[in-house]
Amino acid sequence: MFDAVARNITFLLGGFVVTLQLTFFALAGGIALGALVGLGRISKNKWIFQPVTLYVNFIRNMPLILVIFWFYFVMPIIAGRPLNPFLSAVISFIIFEATYFGEIFRAGYQSISKDLTSAAYSTGMTYIQTARYILIPVAFRRMLPSLITQSIVTFQDTSLAFVIGLQEFVRRTSIVDNLEVRSIQLFGFVAIIFFIFCFIASKISRHFEEKGRKLGMI
Amino acid sequence: MIEIKNVNKWFGEFQVLTDINETIERGQTVVICGPSGSGKSTLLRCINGLEPYQKGQILVDGVSLSDPKTNLYKLRENIGMVFQRFELYPHMTALQNITLAPMKVRKLSKDKARKKAMELLQRVGIPDKADSYPANLSGGQQQRVAIARSLAMEPKYMMFDEPTSALDPEMIKEVLDVMIDLAKEGMTMLCVTHEMGFAREVADEIIFMDFGKIVERGTYEGFFKNPKSERAKEFLKQIL
Amino acid sequence: MGFAYDFDWGVLWRQPYGIWLLQGLWLTIKIGFVAWIVAFFLGVLVGTLRVTPWRWLRFISTAYTEIFRNIPFLVQLFFWYYAGPMIFGESLGRQINQIVGLNFYVAILALGLYTASRVAEHMRAGFASISRDQYQAVLSTGMTQYQMYRYVIIPYALRIIIPPLTTEFLTIFKNSSVAMTIGVAELTFMSYRIDAETFHGLEATTGAMVIYLILGLTVVRAMGIIEARFKIPGMIGRE
Repeated sequence: MFDAVARNITFLLGGFVVTLQLTFFALAGGIALGALVGLGRISKNKWIFQPVTLYVNFIRNMPLILVIFWFYFVMPIIAGRPLNPFLSAVISFIIFEATYFGEIFRAGYQSISKDLTSAAYSTGMTYIQTARYILIPVAFRRMLPSLITQSIVTFQDTSLAFVIGLQEFVRRTSIVDNLEVRSIQLFGFVAIIFFIFCFIASKISRHFEEKGRKLGMI
Repeated sequence: MIEIKNVNKWFGEFQVLTDINETIERGQTVVICGPSGSGKSTLLRCINGLEPYQKGQILVDGVSLSDPKTNLYKLRENIGMVFQRFELYPHMTALQNITLAPMKVRKLSKDKARKKAMELLQRVGIPDKADSYPANLSGGQQQRVAIARSLAMEPKYMMFDEPTSALDPEMIKEVLDVMIDLAKEGMTMLCVTHEMGFAREVADEIIFMDFGKIVERGTYEGFFKNPKSERAKEFLKQIL
Repeated sequence: MGFAYDFDWGVLWRQPYGIWLLQGLWLTIKIGFVAWIVAFFLGVLVGTLRVTPWRWLRFISTAYTEIFRNIPFLVQLFFWYYAGPMIFGESLGRQINQIVGLNFYVAILALGLYTASRVAEHMRAGFASISRDQYQAVLSTGMTQYQMYRYVIIPYALRIIIPPLTTEFLTIFKNSSVAMTIGVAELTFMSYRIDAETFHGLEATTGAMVIYLILGLTVVRAMGIIEARFKIPGMIGRE
């Protein structure tokens, strides 16, 4: 039933490894930048708040594919030489996903009431102690389910690097399909692999959500 | 002793506190009441250094809060505060809520901090809830843990910001009882509350605030029985 | 700098390229709208089935949302486009493949099925936010289960979820760009096609970005009017 998959399994899994690498860099960069974007979105300084808000609202109106193309076209001009599509794709994912992670961080930061901070201060704790023992742990627990969900979305989004010819999982499957013409099993195989990973991750996310709800934090 | 001298505070254009003068001696219990938005909570937060004020002076044991050299963190160790919505740390058990500051600020050993926390839980009547998370406690129990959390730092002053207004009626008493005991043991307390029974039992002085000003002050008998200002009469009619 | 780049913004209005972008926009709007109709009705149906008392209906609708949410849309699109016709067997599949504009129809179908799972998920959340007492209050007036859902619960839930549905409606236009991978000549496809002809992809994609921005702002404005129209006082608020 999966004969065409079996014949090309090394090639296909090689593509999956590229997908995982893309996901790793997109998440590392996207979450780090997103944490800063979230800070910018709650900033009282309008010279920080307004540009960051503009960036977030602009990117969130864009289709990811177009952003990937745009960076694919603009990066060589900035760098002054042709860039490899992997780097270009990673940069577009980071810029794109950071706006979505940024809004999660913003919500997380804002979910902490002023009085909770005051309560910690009134026991004599310093800002650093308050942040370390109260603010960061509480915000992180509140954000964790959303962070996992957005990570699943990012994982799925990396498939769109297909359009600039990057040989990730879907691209390689499509290459094999052109030769073998076994679309049902080949695309069925990709679908199953993605499903397994995303389904498990979504269950983990839900687990943390339940846990958070039991602690009265969500 | 807490001395409040001519304190004024603005939120932007809006004046929230106007010419506040008050002295709270050690061992006294002062009750502050007044309609919502009258500046009661803001005043408490100013005394704790949680909110700045623009004019006047607040001295705690002779130390000025507006002096830039004053270490507010150090000062707050002496002033406990209890909030309307409890504000327990949701990711920690009752015991952990209580032991955190003594361990991190006072550098108490874990054993000592736990022993002390258990004593305090005993004192507020819920030693069996030590390992419960706030979400699994009733409002009254949460507020009692919050009081224990403040007491763990052995403060000289305790401030209560409407500690019973978020509670169901049947839980109000269990929190008030703890507060009354505390007052009778000689704790210096400043309480924003409308609980008359509490005021009657322990208040040395009652302050009535309206529109950011202290409109009237007196003893229980003086204020509740014979209010002088119209605003106070109106207010008392509504809460009685 | 060995890569000096000569900007030529003229590609945005020089013919035929300018008209290509507009044709692409028109197709983007068409796909988005039609797919939204599919997504909305299917999504409401699937979302409602998730709260019915019948276990196997609940199972099917839950499976539907899980499957469509946990597979990248690109993979779903390829599956329906390349593998879809073959499901019907060799000869019928060949006939399907000869339909003119098949990619356009598949894009709408795939986007509709995918977005329906997201609508269903919002719907479920909407139902969950209605209290148990509310349900019992409706039944206590003598309504049947069907009447309860038809006249009270579904309209109520729909109004609660108008804000997230607005976001989904915006997203459907953005996701329609994925249809370019099966050759549907929508907006993103056209900006890429201009690059292929003129090597001025940067200008073309920048132009397309501006068009998407205008489209997005227009949709938000329009949905704002709808939200205001259906608003329940004190019920829904957007941040």
